[in-house]
Amino acid sequence: MQIMGAGRILAVAALLAIAAASIVLVTVQNWKQQQASVIWFMPKTTAPGTEFWQVMLQGVHTAAAEVGAEIHVAGTAEEADVEGQIALLEQAVREKPRAVILAATDYNRLVPAASKVREAGITLVTVDSGVSEEQAASLIATDNYAAGRKAGRALGSGLMLGDTAVIISFVRGSTTAIEREAGVRDSMTGISGLRLLQTRYSDSSVEQAYELTRELLEEEPDLKAIAALNEMTVVGSAKAIEEAGLAGTVRLVGFDSSMDEIAYMERGVLDATVVQRPFNMGYLAVRTAAAAAAGERVEPVIDTGSVVITRANMYTEENQKLLFPFIE
Amino acid sequence: MKRLRWLQFKSIHTSIAIAFSVLIICTTLVLSYNTYRVSSEAVTDNSLQYTAQLVEQVSRNINTYIANMESISELAARQEPLRRLSMLEDSDGAETQRIREETEKLFQSIVSSRSDIAAIMFAGTNGVIVSSRGDAVPKPYRELSLQDWYTQAIEAGGQLVISSSRVQHLFEQEYRWVVSLSCTLPGREEGNPGGVLLVDLNFSVINDLCSRIHMGSRGYIFLLDPEGSLVYHPQQQLVYSGLKSEAVDAILSSADRTFKFEAGGVRKLYTVHSSGYGWKTVGVNDPDELVGSKGHMQRVAALWGILCLVVALGISVMLSRRLMKPVKALNSNMKLVEKGYFDTRTDFDSPNEFGRLARTFNLMTAKIKELMEQVVQEQEDKRLSELKALQAQIHPHFLYNTLDSIIWMAETGKMNEVVRMTSALSKLLRTSISKGEERVPIRRELDHIEHYLTIQCIRYRDKFTYEMEVDPDILDCLILKLVLQPLVENAIYHGIKNMADPGHIRIRGYAEGDDIMLLVEDNGTGTNADNLNQMLARQAEVSGPDIGGGQGVSKGGGGGVGLHNVSHRLRLNYGEGYGLRFESDWDEGTTVYVRIPLQRREE
Repeated sequence: MQIMGAGRILAVAALLAIAAASIVLVTVQNWKQQQASVIWFMPKTTAPGTEFWQVMLQGVHTAAAEVGAEIHVAGTAEEADVEGQIALLEQAVREKPRAVILAATDYNRLVPAASKVREAGITLVTVDSGVSEEQAASLIATDNYAAGRKAGRALGSGLMLGDTAVIISFVRGSTTAIEREAGVRDSMTGISGLRLLQTRYSDSSVEQAYELTRELLEEEPDLKAIAALNEMTVVGSAKAIEEAGLAGTVRLVGFDSSMDEIAYMERGVLDATVVQRPFNMGYLAVRTAAAAAAGERVEPVIDTGSVVITRANMYTEENQKLLFPFIE
Repeated sequence: MKRLRWLQFKSIHTSIAIAFSVLIICTTLVLSYNTYRVSSEAVTDNSLQYTAQLVEQVSRNINTYIANMESISELAARQEPLRRLSMLEDSDGAETQRIREETEKLFQSIVSSRSDIAAIMFAGTNGVIVSSRGDAVPKPYRELSLQDWYTQAIEAGGQLVISSSRVQHLFEQEYRWVVSLSCTLPGREEGNPGGVLLVDLNFSVINDLCSRIHMGSRGYIFLLDPEGSLVYHPQQQLVYSGLKSEAVDAILSSADRTFKFEAGGVRKLYTVHSSGYGWKTVGVNDPDELVGSKGHMQRVAALWGILCLVVALGISVMLSRRLMKPVKALNSNMKLVEKGYFDTRTDFDSPNEFGRLARTFNLMTAKIKELMEQVVQEQEDKRLSELKALQAQIHPHFLYNTLDSIIWMAETGKMNEVVRMTSALSKLLRTSISKGEERVPIRRELDHIEHYLTIQCIRYRDKFTYEMEVDPDILDCLILKLVLQPLVENAIYHGIKNMADPGHIRIRGYAEGDDIMLLVEDNGTGTNADNLNQMLARQAEVSGPDIGGGQGVSKGGGGGVGLHNVSHRLRLNYGEGYGLRFESDWDEGTTVYVRIPLQRREE
């Protein structure tokens, strides 16, 4: 019986020792986990002067501070460098971060690399542009269709019967372009008597957009509205309209923002532009990635929204932060 | 009690260890908790104090910036060229141009030494525009006059107007984040302003100042202007798009203090400090982060607590084991004693209770051993004395003599007596041989004596007579077998045999209290009763009675194997206080008293 008593004490002591050990373990693990919570942020480009991605990076860092993650930015200098991004994804698989936030440079070609990332047990979240198939835990992006509809509404106001409108997209096959175009088109079809021309493509070239718009203005005297689906296209079209002296006559609605666009807007050439919220995108991407990595359920698609900026509201408190991001 | 059963441990060692442990656990818990509480309070207080200091410092710095702007604007407003410019009526002319250039130089000289000032501009009501930026093209007057800084300054009527942070678009293609300070300058006519003077502060100055502040990983600082719009906020976009919110109203109405605010499940700790000019500098702490560091402290406190606990428990187990070691040794020795090893000795050097206990224990075992040995010896004695009693009873000489007497009587033709004697002998033998009982009813013992006396009477040719007067009540009481015969034998051989006159033997028996008294009286020659009594007493003292000695006495006294053995047996069987006592007078006779306890036959 005495042996049993001693055994009981030993058992108590052992239990306490185990408790102590487990606490030490938990602490160490916590510490390790904090060490290990590295998140890779892979924008389409890390080239300087790409405001959109820099603002997004601000959002990323803000969220990283909140969730206690360390951000590693991995990107290529060129947005078109799909191979470079694939190589970076493979590097991520080797280095095993906790999560990867990917802005896919190509909807299809990145799929194998993305699935490798997911198979390696790394949480994958896509931001701004996703990949085909459901590789990512979540896509944090602007709802481009909704943005397109907003642009369409801004463009459609003030159009009359018999007016002609055209959509100048930027590249064939880009999901962003397709969704924006669909949004614009869907909101314009409601306007009776409007003639909507076949969609043209600028190939993201200011020059080509300029030439295209010039030709259109010459060929279509009734052309009263142009929807330019990205920044380069907007600048090219605006240049053509301004040169033709048709500012105020031909409505131009664009997407995104740049100093050029703002200048055109102040001069009354660009009527409205639909801007995204890159800061929110970056912020939500990190929050979502951290939540998904922690095993929480996350929404498969998160819309960060878009805002229509016109000359009237461009200097409001809320909008100037979107149009003129303060980059340190 | 049932509930407490698990607390009842089988060994004191366990109990002591558990008691120690509970004590230690309680102490450690209380200590750890208190340490944690005190230190966490200190840490919280410290961090809140730190935050308050930071916020105050930021607030002061911002105040300095704005005060600088104010002094610049006052300085500029006092200068002659500007005053004259604001008094001018038309915007053209050589004179105007000259004053414009002078003013521009003045502005440039003010700004040149200061990197924090983005621009100084004067827009006259007459359309004249002068700025410190000679290289940039200002926007036309009609556009500038619609901008907030201009309209608000006009509305304020000479008061200083300080804007929130905003994008200033004074010049073509230039959009800078600034904080503007504007005021009207007096015009030519009383009551009508001559223009608005604008001083723009680079917002990056404030941005750098605020963004450099880190309060934990989640703490930050933001600035509010009197209207409640955010001058600086690290997450301005999140606030505007509704992902985050600040308790702007509560802050605006709050005095300088620290308060908690909870909205939408998010708890924040605001530390508000009012700058001059109506701005509020607000430090935001995440209470959870303070708790987070608390969590760390909790872990540390718990860790050390448990470490101490384990060490203390180990020591308590060791201590209790050490303490209980003698008891355990005593316990195991006790078990040995239980098994019959009375030679077990427990030796502790310690002079404490355990040492004393061990000594007492040793004494006890020694005593027990002694007693046990005594008992064994006594049992042995009993057996021997019974054997002797038996031997005494069927003493061969007695048998020979009796048989000789029978032969002799048969030869002389005394057939009657032969028959009587033979039958008595036969009965005598039967009773003495019969069964192994140690104790017999007095009746039977008396029968036995009767037969014996019958034989002796015939042998000694009626040299004596006998009588028995025994209380019938005690006839069924038990008596040790073969007690009386040696006494009667003694009376015959030593009392009556040598007498000239016929003797008489009387056997009496009665109850006396809880005892029974049996008396064997003779009227023989008598003996030295004192000697006999003393001898018996001596024999009793030599507790392990020496059988040889008994024999010696019996030989020396010639009293057969009798008295001593009887006395010895009585004492062995009935204990102290019982036995034989002699009373005797020379030529008067001897009386032997037998005292035995009154024991009824159990049936």
